[in-house]
Amino acid sequence: MKKILALANITFKEGLRSRAVYGIGLFSFFILGLNITVAGFFMRDVGKVTVDMNLSALSIAGLLLVLFVGLNLISKDIDRKTIQLVLTKPISRYEYIFGKYVGIEMFVFVALFLLFVISCLTVGGLSVVYEGYFQGFVWSNFIVAAFFVYVKISVLAAIAVFFGVIATSSFVTLIFSFCAYIVGETLDEVVFYLKSSASSSEVVISEGVKKVIAVTSYIAPNFSVFDFKTEAAYGLALQPSRVGNSLAYGLIYILILLILSTFIFQRREFN
Amino acid sequence: MTPEIELRGVTKRYKTGLFKKPVQALRGVDLAVRKGEVFGLIGPNGSGKSTTIRAILGLIRPDSGNVYFRGDQLSATCIQQEVGYLPENPYLYDHLTLSELLKFCARTSGLARDTASVRSGELLARLSLDHATRRPLRTFSKGMLQRAAICFALLHDPSLVVFDEPMSGLDPVGRKMVFDLVSELKDRGRTIFFCSHILSDVERLCDRIGLLSHGRLIDTFDTGALTASRQGQVHLKVDRLGAEQRDSLAPILEGVTETDDGLLLTVFAANLAALAVRLNQLGISIQGSREDRLTLEELFMRSIQGGEK
Repeated sequence: MKKILALANITFKEGLRSRAVYGIGLFSFFILGLNITVAGFFMRDVGKVTVDMNLSALSIAGLLLVLFVGLNLISKDIDRKTIQLVLTKPISRYEYIFGKYVGIEMFVFVALFLLFVISCLTVGGLSVVYEGYFQGFVWSNFIVAAFFVYVKISVLAAIAVFFGVIATSSFVTLIFSFCAYIVGETLDEVVFYLKSSASSSEVVISEGVKKVIAVTSYIAPNFSVFDFKTEAAYGLALQPSRVGNSLAYGLIYILILLILSTFIFQRREFN
Repeated sequence: MTPEIELRGVTKRYKTGLFKKPVQALRGVDLAVRKGEVFGLIGPNGSGKSTTIRAILGLIRPDSGNVYFRGDQLSATCIQQEVGYLPENPYLYDHLTLSELLKFCARTSGLARDTASVRSGELLARLSLDHATRRPLRTFSKGMLQRAAICFALLHDPSLVVFDEPMSGLDPVGRKMVFDLVSELKDRGRTIFFCSHILSDVERLCDRIGLLSHGRLIDTFDTGALTASRQGQVHLKVDRLGAEQRDSLAPILEGVTETDDGLLLTVFAANLAALAVRLNQLGISIQGSREDRLTLEELFMRSIQGGEK
C-alpha cells in the first residue's frame, strides 16, 4: 500500500504541475462564466439550463483532464522509458498500475472539486438572482449528479489506463480513449433507437449490425447510467436503487479494467 | 560458488514491425558474474549490451534460455530488492525536485525515513548535488541528471549494481566522481555489472570483461591476464625499413604497423636492447617510443573483426 501511495503521490504532483491544467482551468471558467450570461436568455428554464450547463462543464473539464493530462501520466512513463527505472525498484506491476490510477484519481478529484465549488457559487448566485425559477432545485440532487460526473470521469480514467497499457504510443491511447468516451455517451441512445426501430417497419437495420451493437453494449461503458442531470435540474426524487446500481456499475467497471490492465501489463516487455 | 548473475543460452529476437524482418538481439549468450566482482560488458553499438541488461533486470523475457540470480531463476526471485540500475539515458520524473525523487525512491525501496535521510545526504554530497535538492529535475543539466539517476539507483544500498554507460554525458570532474564511487562500491564488495564504450574506464575498473558482438558473447577475460599479456610491449617509431631489413628483424619484432609518417615496430621489452643494437647497425634512427596502452582497444577491434569474419 505504501508503494501504491508513493506512486500515487508523484503522479498527483505531476498532474498538478502539468501546464495543460491551466488551459483546462481557463476553459472551465469560461464555460461557467458563459453559463451566467447565457442563463438569462432562458427565463422560464433558467434553473434547468444553469444546472445542465454546470454539470456539462464539469463533465467536459473532466474529459479534458483525463485525455490531456491523466492519459499522459501513464503513457509518458512508457514513451520516455522512465518506467524501466521505476520497475527496477521493488514495485510490482500491479502496484504500478494501481498507484498510477490512484494518482490520476486524486488529481481529477481535486481539479473537479475546485470546479464544483465554483459551480456551486454560480448556481447559488443565479438562484438568488432568479429566485422564482429555482423552486424545484434541490442541492442534494445537484451534489449527487456532480458526484456521478466524477464517477464517470473515473471510469474514463480507468479506460485511459487500460489503453495506455496496451497501446504503443500516447496518441493511440488518446484516440482509443476518446472513442470509448463517445461510445459511452451515445450507447444508450443507440440501443434505445434500435429497440424502438425494431417495432417500426420504416427503418431496416441488418441483423448483423444489431448483433454487433448488442455485444458492444455489454462491453463498452454506458455513461448514461451516471447521468443525473434531469433529477438535479427538476429536483426529482432520487431512487436509491438507481444511485446504488450506478455506483456499483462504475466501481465494478473500474475494477475489471484495472485487473485487465494489470494482467496485460504483467506480460508487457520494456525494450 | 553460485554466480550472482548467470545467463544460460539466452536468445532474444525483437519484432520491429508487422512486415519488417525481426532483429536477433541476443544469440545464445552464456555469461556468469561472480559475487563481488566488477564485470564490464563491451561491444559495438547494437551488439546487444542493453538487451542483456534488460534481460538481467527482468524488463524483457528471453525467447529461450534462462537468467539466474543467485542460482534461482529470475522470475522466482525479487531481484529488485537487491539491484540498483542506471540506464544509458535516464529519464527521471522531471516535474519532481531531487529531494522528492529520492523520497519516492526511499518509500518504494522500503527504507526507513532516518536511513533514507542519511543515505541521501551521503550520496548527494558525494556526487556534488547537495546544493540542488530543491530544484526541479527539469532544470538540471545532462551531467546533473546522470548523477541524480546514480543517487536514485544507489539510495537503497543495493548489493548488485547495473550501470549502462555510467560516464555518459559527464564532464571530467563528474567522470572522476563516478569512477571513485564505483571503485568504492567495488571495495565494499558490491557486484557491479556495467556496459561502457570508454574502454580505459572498463579496463581500470573491471575484474573481468565480456566482449559482445552481434548478440554473441565472443570472449570473456580477466583484466589481470590482459595486463600481464601486454607487459613489456613497446612501440618504436622509425622512418623507413627496407624489405631485407624487415626480414632480418623479424625474429625480434612482434609486429610492424605502417603509419602516415613512418613505421611502428612492436617489440617486447626483453628484446628492446637487441632491437636497438640491430637498428643502429642498420643505420636506422629511432624517432620515438611509447608503451602499449591500447591493448583493450586493439583486442576489442581484433575480436570484433574476428567475430565478423
